[in-house]
Amino acid sequence: MMSVYLQGNSWAHRLPAGLKLLAIALASLLLLQYTSFWVLLPALGAVLLCYASLGRDGLAQLKLLRAMSYLLAALLVLHWVSGSLLEGVAMILRLAIMILSANFVSVTTRMDDMLDAVLPLFKPLEIFGFSPRKPALGVALVLRFAPYMLVVFAQLREAWQARTGTRNSWRLLAPFAIQSLSMSDHVAEALKARGGSQGLSR
Amino acid sequence: MADRSLVHVAFYAALISALGLVPPVAIAFLGGVPITAQTLGVMLAGVMLGPIRGALAVLLFLFLVALGLPFLSGGRGGLGVFMGPSVGFLIGWPVGALVAGWIMQSTREMNILAAAAISAAVGGILVVYAIGIPGVAIMAGLSLPKAALGSSVFIPGDLVKVALTAVIVQTVARGLPGAVLSRS
Amino acid sequence: MAFWPKSRKPTAEHRVCNPDASPYAVFDRVGLKAGSVPILKDLTLQLAEDRIGVIGLNGSGKSSFVRLLNGLRAPTSGNLTLFGAPYDEAELELPRHVGFVFQNPDHQAIFPTVEEEIAFGLTQLGAGKEESRSRARAFLALHGCEGLAGKPITELSGGQKQLICILAVLVMEPRLLVLDEPMSSLDALTTVRIRQKILSLPQKIVLVSHDLSQFDGFDRLLWLEGGRLRMDGEPDAVRAAFQEDVLSRQDMDVEIAEL
Repeated sequence: MMSVYLQGNSWAHRLPAGLKLLAIALASLLLLQYTSFWVLLPALGAVLLCYASLGRDGLAQLKLLRAMSYLLAALLVLHWVSGSLLEGVAMILRLAIMILSANFVSVTTRMDDMLDAVLPLFKPLEIFGFSPRKPALGVALVLRFAPYMLVVFAQLREAWQARTGTRNSWRLLAPFAIQSLSMSDHVAEALKARGGSQGLSR
Repeated sequence: MADRSLVHVAFYAALISALGLVPPVAIAFLGGVPITAQTLGVMLAGVMLGPIRGALAVLLFLFLVALGLPFLSGGRGGLGVFMGPSVGFLIGWPVGALVAGWIMQSTREMNILAAAAISAAVGGILVVYAIGIPGVAIMAGLSLPKAALGSSVFIPGDLVKVALTAVIVQTVARGLPGAVLSRS
Repeated sequence: MAFWPKSRKPTAEHRVCNPDASPYAVFDRVGLKAGSVPILKDLTLQLAEDRIGVIGLNGSGKSSFVRLLNGLRAPTSGNLTLFGAPYDEAELELPRHVGFVFQNPDHQAIFPTVEEEIAFGLTQLGAGKEESRSRARAFLALHGCEGLAGKPITELSGGQKQLICILAVLVMEPRLLVLDEPMSSLDALTTVRIRQKILSLPQKIVLVSHDLSQFDGFDRLLWLEGGRLRMDGEPDAVRAAFQEDVLSRQDMDVEIAEL
């Protein structure tokens, strides 16, 4: 399944997902207290070491920074014009550390494990009549719908092209919404036919 | 029926995901700022589903992104995106969908095109920026006016999406009236 | 419909249906309306045979008729008894005993991968996550589909998709399998294969189809028209009468838009 997850069996992969999530939450809270380069630079070094420990594929993950570079550069410019360049550099450093370390958890944790780690958090909602199965079922449904939508869109685009000769048009969006919506009604019926989100036991 | 709601919520979460795969378009007369289709999905979710289900659809989408699926425009995903400077906008999305859905629901008497445009503009722009701009200010250590200035380049693109939302909702209301759940 | 259906969740201690009941369905002047539009009118019949077919023109009410059997539609008048229990009491338990296969597999599959789709039925019945995954893989192997387990549903061929949809229902071990035009999007060879699969099952079958040859070897054929039972009996007799009726009508000067 498509995901930012990186196949592997490193030390970081073997850590329990819940522990990694807790660690990243604490680290982010802690980091927000500091703007000193004496803290930020070693922290950045530690994060980079983590990626390096995953090998070449791990270091390749740092391309994430390139995707963020425009945004970070724009922020730096805004700091520069307001005369706080040094503070800006510290801010951007801190953002980069937080983004990279959170991403490290995502890269080393399977989606299933992540889901299992967070689903118990929904348990308290049960007293409001909310079935704790629903988030997991919702996730599965989204993963099922998203590729199907691309198929529907491709079909519509073909039909449009066959009659107009042009390719894309925003006019396709409404028929696309209508066609894929009717699918969601059918899926709702299919879900009910097999016992619905509540299940048949318990 | 609860199951139907769940499926509709998942459907719009998938729609927001699919729109994230549409490559960003740089429009010359908007100063070349790339606009992505993703917030169109956020507006549609609120306007079409109503406040609660609309907000839940956006939350489900964000949940999937947090789980590591690269559904955010530009193929981004994972926990890292929630640490970035634009996290305020991500938090603003479900609130924006909630407000858009609420306005849509309380303007049943109004012409659907106008109601959808107002809902999408207030929920999808006003509310989202009201939460997103302070977010940029905090995360990047900028003053509010500077953060607002930096964010404002995306507003013209968002206005285009408001217009698209209104047209789509009106067309769907004609072709499949039951699908505009915020009004049924 | 109950106002607050949660409280009526069926439990292991409180089952109302008898899976061995024969006849499994008793219709007594059953009617069904959608809003104010009557869909089914005054149906009185009993279903007990192993292989029952349903035919009728578009809009004859056959889809709604078979949906009554699985609790997807509730009767609005008359008495319907399913597996020995009145409809209202049986409703939430029905998906356990009655499997339903839809016309379009794209509209039936709920999960992204084959394995999850099969495992869902088992978690519905109360199995744990790991247990249902491994039982799902074993079940796929039993039906010669072990190679498909990890595949995304969207990448399967039409025939594979329909087969997976049937297996996803069979894994719940229902007593009755309802199939609503399952072959309409399949090619000739796949149709034959799926049909062989269906006929080899121990389950009781109710099959809706426009293709009259599908009912070879069936015990009984129901012909619905305008929401009523027009004819009920041996497949050969019903098929002959149906074909004659269609032929006699095609000469009439009726615009398609009026059908």
